[in-house]
Amino acid sequence: MDGLLLVVWVIRLAFLALLYLFLARVVRSLLRDLRAAAREPGASLGRLVVIESPAGDPELGRSFDLDVITTLGRDVNNAIVVEDPFASAEHAVLTYRGRSWYVEDLGSTNGTFVNGRAVAAVAPLGFGDEVAIGQVRLRLERARPT
Amino acid sequence: MTGASRPAARVELPRILGQIRPRPRWTELRLLTIAAVALVVGSLSLGAGLTGRLTLHAPQGLTIDLAALGVAHLAQVLAGRRSDEVLLPVMGLLGGISLLLMQRLPQELVTMELGETTVGLGDVQLLWLVLAVGVATTLGIVVRSDSWLRRYKYTWAAAGIALLLLTFVFGSDVAGQRLTLRIGPFAGQPSELLKVILVVFLAGYLSENRPLLIEQDTRLGPLRLPPLPYLAPMVAMWAIALGIVVVQRDLGAALLFFAVFLALVYAATGRLSLVVIGSILFFAGSALMANLFDHVRARVDIWLDPFADPLGTGYQVVQSLHAFARGGLLGTGLGEGLPMVGGRLPIPEVHTDFPLAALGEELGLVGVIAILGLFFVLIERGLRIGASAADDFRAILATGLALVVGVQAFIIAAGNLKVLPLTGVTLPFVSYGGSSLLVNAIVVGLLLALSDKGVEPPPPPTGVRRWRDRLRRRAS
Repeated sequence: MDGLLLVVWVIRLAFLALLYLFLARVVRSLLRDLRAAAREPGASLGRLVVIESPAGDPELGRSFDLDVITTLGRDVNNAIVVEDPFASAEHAVLTYRGRSWYVEDLGSTNGTFVNGRAVAAVAPLGFGDEVAIGQVRLRLERARPT
Repeated sequence: MTGASRPAARVELPRILGQIRPRPRWTELRLLTIAAVALVVGSLSLGAGLTGRLTLHAPQGLTIDLAALGVAHLAQVLAGRRSDEVLLPVMGLLGGISLLLMQRLPQELVTMELGETTVGLGDVQLLWLVLAVGVATTLGIVVRSDSWLRRYKYTWAAAGIALLLLTFVFGSDVAGQRLTLRIGPFAGQPSELLKVILVVFLAGYLSENRPLLIEQDTRLGPLRLPPLPYLAPMVAMWAIALGIVVVQRDLGAALLFFAVFLALVYAATGRLSLVVIGSILFFAGSALMANLFDHVRARVDIWLDPFADPLGTGYQVVQSLHAFARGGLLGTGLGEGLPMVGGRLPIPEVHTDFPLAALGEELGLVGVIAILGLFFVLIERGLRIGASAADDFRAILATGLALVVGVQAFIIAAGNLKVLPLTGVTLPFVSYGGSSLLVNAIVVGLLLALSDKGVEPPPPPTGVRRWRDRLRRRAS
């Protein structure tokens, strides 16, 4: 009888121990995941992905990592050169202020559009929003996950 | 002739699922194995506790549950999506613990007619658990695009409010709460589904209006607020939460909805002022409610001093506290708690509202902490999926889905332990109940789908907007 009681106790404790073993394994895999994310070099603020580009420059699907200030236009001195007949030399600028992105139209001839709406002067930009410059459409996305 | 002569006589799979390339999921397999071993040992412990011999208790049920988990794992391997590998094992372990608990409670608590035979609590719960695993896996494999959630957010919101109103009007009262909606042979608790709809709507609304909510142009004393029109949904939420308390008498759902709402507003805007205002509104509303309505005041009184009426209103909470006390550090062991005292359950609602008390008695403090740890893992996964999501909608959606499960678990655990007033919400994945299990499975399924690192990008602007864009361009 005492032997059985002991076995029952061992089983009971084994169940609890297995619950914690499971938790420990889960936590280990979570920590590995978090460390991998922390090692990721140059955690950038976001990126612009080209989703439509009739002239092929910038090429379709290309993604640009963004700095705090990123200029766009036809001039070669821009961070992102948009080689499009409808784009101005200095067309627009993307800025990261506080904790949000903004796009500013630099007095371009044909205007800058956010989700199809013309930007008057400065417009806030969320991740997933689309910026149109000339015929080129770019989408703001978060920095690429691991 | 043409078909036979080709060397590549591959079977063309239907393209609904996209390119299918199996991909091993070792972490998931390892975790599922540990969970399965733990549950078998648990079943052994339960058998020993109930019969005094070394036998598994109701091994068929556990076998079916584990087989369902195995099939779910295989299906995910075959589908080959790069989705999260921790969610399914955690859900499986919680569900398994729930199965052990329900098999051990008196079976006649819940019965269901299946053709000729009548099945008891354990088997009904098993049925729901298997369905839940199926739902979660199917959603995790099939859902590739989120545009059906993103685009129709106001439709979802309208459906949610319609569901709520239907329950207000046609719902049947059970134990003083109007929660259950009966359509033909089906009965369910719409407020469970409502929490997912709420998160979907909020994710859509907040991700679209985030820049406007961050701007500050209204000043109210020391507080700086977003433009007033954008505060309207906040006030609407507050009114809905209070409406749920008044009409449905469902304190838990109201608390859950409002807490998740505030958390999501904070996650989306990072502005503490909104949360402070929301909390003040909520506490003011609650204080008013407690003074106006008896059922709210009764709950608060029980919370403050359950021992004032230990055999009447305070009965459940007192028994729950006694259960935790009997459990102590390591618990009495599965199957050796007190299911019946004098021919009746010490806690009448043990299978829905107080599973944590039963587990606290039989597994002790150590076991309860492990179970709460599992919920923390679920929350961490959800937040992590949100943090690495590609855009705001998905980030807020994943955060909200994780919080809705986590906050609900916290509310009922705190209620069981007399940390908060007791409210009748279920402990996700552990409580008995079809609606609760299925809706939480939907949450896990959506999280699985969102965690995929290769989901297709969101759709381009709709036709109307592109057309308008083109017109404007031509005009300028």
